[in-house]
Amino acid sequence: MFPTTSLSLGSEELETPLDDLESVVALYQPRVFRFLLATLRDRDAAETLTQETFLRAWSARASFREDCSVATWLIRIALNLARDHTRTGRFRFWKRVIASAVDVAEVAAFVPTRDRSAEEHLIAQQQVTEIWQTVNGLSNRQRTIFLLRFLEEMEIPEIASVTGLPLGTVKSHLYRALAIIRTQHNRSGQSTALHNLPARNATTGCATWKETR
Amino acid sequence: MTPQLVPQARRADGEAHLTGEQFGELLARFTEDVGPEPTLAESHLQACEACSAELASLREAIALFREASDAYAERELRGIPRWRLPNRRVFSHRLVPAYWLAAAAMFVTALLPLQVLRRHAQGTPPAVAATATVGNATSSAQSDEALLEDVNRELSATVPTSMQELDDPSSDATVADSESSTATSNQRKD
Repeated sequence: MFPTTSLSLGSEELETPLDDLESVVALYQPRVFRFLLATLRDRDAAETLTQETFLRAWSARASFREDCSVATWLIRIALNLARDHTRTGRFRFWKRVIASAVDVAEVAAFVPTRDRSAEEHLIAQQQVTEIWQTVNGLSNRQRTIFLLRFLEEMEIPEIASVTGLPLGTVKSHLYRALAIIRTQHNRSGQSTALHNLPARNATTGCATWKETR
Repeated sequence: MTPQLVPQARRADGEAHLTGEQFGELLARFTEDVGPEPTLAESHLQACEACSAELASLREAIALFREASDAYAERELRGIPRWRLPNRRVFSHRLVPAYWLAAAAMFVTALLPLQVLRRHAQGTPPAVAATATVGNATSSAQSDEALLEDVNRELSATVPTSMQELDDPSSDATVADSESSTATSNQRKD
């Protein structure tokens, strides 16, 4: 439970977890920013919309009925803001030229090294780049649902709550997104196997992949 | 170029494998844990090395994507200056008596110096001042009456005070004056 202070409006006293804005920002800003950055791929827009998300949440805190978690509620606001942002023609135009656009190679450089060899690390970076690019090619809904599931690690019912879609629709979009990613992953795996990793089975795509690692 | 969906459950090796939906369902779970009663897909996964390896590979790729995105977002977030949130001003009805008390204290504090200044300006207490005023009024009335009496006396007199010396020429002073003046004239004649 977050530290809260009482808020009085007329004779009715309200207490919401969003009253202590500073704590809420400290706790959820990284998550909201990460989601918006992956969705918009523009750090300036992500920063602006992250701030806007918390301002909206603060303004509308009285309507927060705690039927979902604060995180879910914030992500829902962030998602609506991102939708509004991407709908504008201005965004579509500037998306091509903005200097603050995320560089995929830069993201891939953040792959943790752990105990990987240089070659394995390079392959890992390549995989991240491919997934990042494939996710970018998904439809808006598929991308949103994929990011909510695999980046924000939300459960399917939570995603349904955030997006306002039925459970079946969420699953359907998620499976389609995963099928596309899987196909692309196997395709690039095959090409990698052909060019770089001769030990990998090009027919099944990954039958011997496990053994090579 | 958008990759095509590959839902077929039978691949080039001729063996039956997981469908796209089954694969997605397993992948969306995150974990490889199998429930107490494994489903058909889970049973297949335990038996099929190809599907198992493919699932593990894709899971790892997605995990890498998440880790890299998370680390990148964290780095970007550190570069953003910290927001300055305005101070919260929360009004509570429970504090109303305290607010009134504070207001009353401020009122009294503001009035006190004014009262002190006023007293200093008057110099004496009001009762004493009133007595003094009455005394002054009485004495001034008496002097007024005396002055009026003097004026009346002056007016009623036949000869004004300033001319009284000339009124009686037989007085000694007048004679002495006339004698001295006569002597002076005689000396001039001589």
